[in-house]
Amino acid sequence: MRSTFGFLSSLRLTIFLLIAIIILAIIGTLIPQGQDIDFYRHQFPHLSSLIISLKLNHLYRSPLFLSLVFLFLLNLLFCTLKNLPLRFRRLKNSVDFTSEDRSLTGDRHLAVRLAEKLEKTPEKLRTELKKRRYQVKIIQKADQKLLLARKGLVGLFGTELVHLGLLVIILGGLASALFSERITLALSEGQSEEIMGKNFRLRLDKFITEFYPDGSVKDWKSLVSIIENDQVQLQKAIEVNHPLRYRGLGFYQTSYGYDWGRCRLSLELKFSEQDRKRVELSPGERLLLDQNLTIVVSSFIPDFQIDQLGQAFSRSAEPRNPAALVEVNQGGQQIFFGWIFYHYPEQSSFHRKTPLILEIRLLSFTAPQFSVLEASSDPGTNLVWIGSFLLLLGLMGSFYLPYRELKIIIRQPNPPLTIFYARKNRQSFLEEIERIIL
Amino acid sequence: MSEFTLLALAFIIYLLVTLLGFLAYLGGKKRLQKTSYFLSLSGLVLHSASILYRTIQSGQAPFTSMYESVNFLAWSCVLAVIIFERFFRLEKAGPYLWLIIVALMALASSPALPKEVSPLVPALQSYWLWLHVSITLIGEAFLAVAFVASLLYLSSREKGSDDRQAQIRKEKLDLLAYRAVAIGFPLFTLGALVFGMIWANQAWGRYWGWDPKEVWSLITWLFYALYLHTRLVMGWKGKKSALIAVLGFLSALFTFFGVNYLLSGLHSYV
Repeated sequence: MRSTFGFLSSLRLTIFLLIAIIILAIIGTLIPQGQDIDFYRHQFPHLSSLIISLKLNHLYRSPLFLSLVFLFLLNLLFCTLKNLPLRFRRLKNSVDFTSEDRSLTGDRHLAVRLAEKLEKTPEKLRTELKKRRYQVKIIQKADQKLLLARKGLVGLFGTELVHLGLLVIILGGLASALFSERITLALSEGQSEEIMGKNFRLRLDKFITEFYPDGSVKDWKSLVSIIENDQVQLQKAIEVNHPLRYRGLGFYQTSYGYDWGRCRLSLELKFSEQDRKRVELSPGERLLLDQNLTIVVSSFIPDFQIDQLGQAFSRSAEPRNPAALVEVNQGGQQIFFGWIFYHYPEQSSFHRKTPLILEIRLLSFTAPQFSVLEASSDPGTNLVWIGSFLLLLGLMGSFYLPYRELKIIIRQPNPPLTIFYARKNRQSFLEEIERIIL
Repeated sequence: MSEFTLLALAFIIYLLVTLLGFLAYLGGKKRLQKTSYFLSLSGLVLHSASILYRTIQSGQAPFTSMYESVNFLAWSCVLAVIIFERFFRLEKAGPYLWLIIVALMALASSPALPKEVSPLVPALQSYWLWLHVSITLIGEAFLAVAFVASLLYLSSREKGSDDRQAQIRKEKLDLLAYRAVAIGFPLFTLGALVFGMIWANQAWGRYWGWDPKEVWSLITWLFYALYLHTRLVMGWKGKKSALIAVLGFLSALFTFFGVNYLLSGLHSYV
C-alpha cells in the first residue's frame, strides 16, 4: 500500500510518463490519423498490423495512450496529496521558534556565516525587507525575538496549483470525450431546423459571402433567427470567430455549399450563325422550344470527373468543372445528347450521339448557397478553462512570484539563527539575502 | 523611411552587435559590451518602428505570413536578449544568440518568403490572433535563450573537477538556461496552449482537436515540463537537463516551421 502510493507519487514515474507521452504524441503526428485500414496496409505494409493492433490509427483514443494519461492523472493526484500537507505545514510552522533545521536552501555554511555577520537590528531589517515587498513579522517571546519575512504565498502553492490545474484539464478532456455533442446543420436561406433535445428551431434568414477586392473570401455570414414556440427570440449574424451561444449550445460557421439540385442554367443553342436561342432552365425541367423541339437537362455536375467505370461524378461540391447533360428532341427523335462543359465549350462533343450542326453552350449557372453550421455542446469546456486558470496561476506564482521565507531568531547570549527557504530560483534568493543582511 | 529601410538598418546594427559581441567575448574587453548593449537598444527601436509601420499600413497583426512571423520572432529574440543582458548578463551566450537573430533576420528577408500583405482569411480575423501569436513567439524567444545556453553547456569541454573556473562558468550557463525557461515556459503555456485553446473554441467550437500543430505545441510543452522535473533529480541535472532544453526548442522550431511544410492540418495559413 505504502509502496504503491510511493510509486504513484514518485518523480521517477513522472519522468517516465512525460517521455512516454512525448514519444507516443510524436508517433501520432507521423502516422496519419483516422484513415481506412486499407490506407495503412498500403502506406505502411510492414507496420500496418502493429498500427491496427495497437490502434495507432486512432492513437489519442487508443488504450495505450489513454492508460498513460490515466497513470499521469494518478501521478498528479498522488504527488499533490503528498506535497499539499507539507506546504500547509510550512505556512503554519513559519512562526515556530524551534524549527531548527529548515534551511532547505541547502547552504548551511551561508546560514552560519550570515548569522555571524548579522549586525543590523530586526527593525532595520524589517524596513529593508519591506522595501523588497516582504511581509514582515517580529514576534517577541521571553528572551527570544523572531523575525519572519516572506513573500510569494501563491508561489508556495505554485507547483500544486499547476498540478491541480492539469488534473482539472484532463478531467475536462474526459468530460468532453464522453459527453460532448456536435450536430452539423446545412441550411439554405429560409430553411429552419429543430434542434434535437432543445425546445427551439434555428432558421437561416440570409447567407452572405463577402469578398476582398482581389477575389479572395473575406467573410461568411449567416444571419439566423432562434425560434421558440413560433416566436423569434433572437437574431444574430454568425461568422467565423463569432459564434452564437444559446441555451448551452454554441453555433459555429464551419462551411458552406451550393444546393446544386436547385440550380438555374442558362444555355445557348446555335442552329446556324443567324439562328440562336437562349433558354433558362433547371435540371429535370423539360422546355418546349417550338412546336416539335424540346430540351431537357437531365443532370448537372459542378466538378465533372469520370470514374474507372466511365460513370460521371462530381469530385467536389465546388464549381470547378461544371457540366450539364443536355438532351434535345425533335418530333420524338433525339437530335442531341451530350455533356456541355462550361470551361471547355469546344469539347462539348463528349457522348454526343447525333452528329448535327447544333451547338450548345452553357453560358451561366447559379445555385442557391447553403450555410453549414455546427452546433456543439461540451460540458468539458468550463472545466478546461478552470484548469487553465489554475495552471497559469500556479506557473506565474512559481516562476514570477516565487515563495521566499527568511527567519532570524535572536536569542541572547547565543549568536542569532538564520533560516531561509525558497521554492524556486534559490540562487538569486541567496544573493538577495546576502545583500539584505550584510 | 519605409518599413524595409528601417528593417535593413536594424539588420546592419544587429550584424555589428554580433561582431562586437564576439570581439568582446574573445578579447575580454568589457568596454565593448556596454557599447554593443546600447547599439542593440537602438537596433530594437528601429526594428520596432519597422514592424509598427507595417502594422499601421496593413491594419492587421504583424504576424500573418511566414515573413512577418519570422521577423516578429527575431524581434522577440532581440527583446529577450536585451532583457537578459540587462538583468542577468548573458556573457558567452550573448554573441551566439545574436548569431541566431541575424540568421532569423536573413531568413525573413530572403526572397523565398513573400513580403506583400495578403488579406486575412475569415479564420484569422480575431483579436486572439494578436494574443495567441505574440505571446507564443515572445515565450519562444526566451526558450531560444535557454537553447543557446544549453548548447554551450553541452559543448563546453569536460575538464577535471579541479578546474574551478570552468565549473563555475558551466554552472552559470545552467542557471542561465533555467532562468530563461522560467520566464519562457509560463509565457508559452499562456500564449500557445491556453490562448490557443480559447481561440480554437471560438473559431471551431472545440478547444482541442489533436491537429498536428496542436500536438506539436503540446510536445514542446511536455519537453519543458520534463526539463523542469529532471532538474529536481540529482543525477539528471546538468547534462541531461541541457539536452532536454535543446530538444524542447527544436520541437518548438518544428511546431513553427516543420508542421506547416511537412504535416497537414488546420494551421496551414501561416
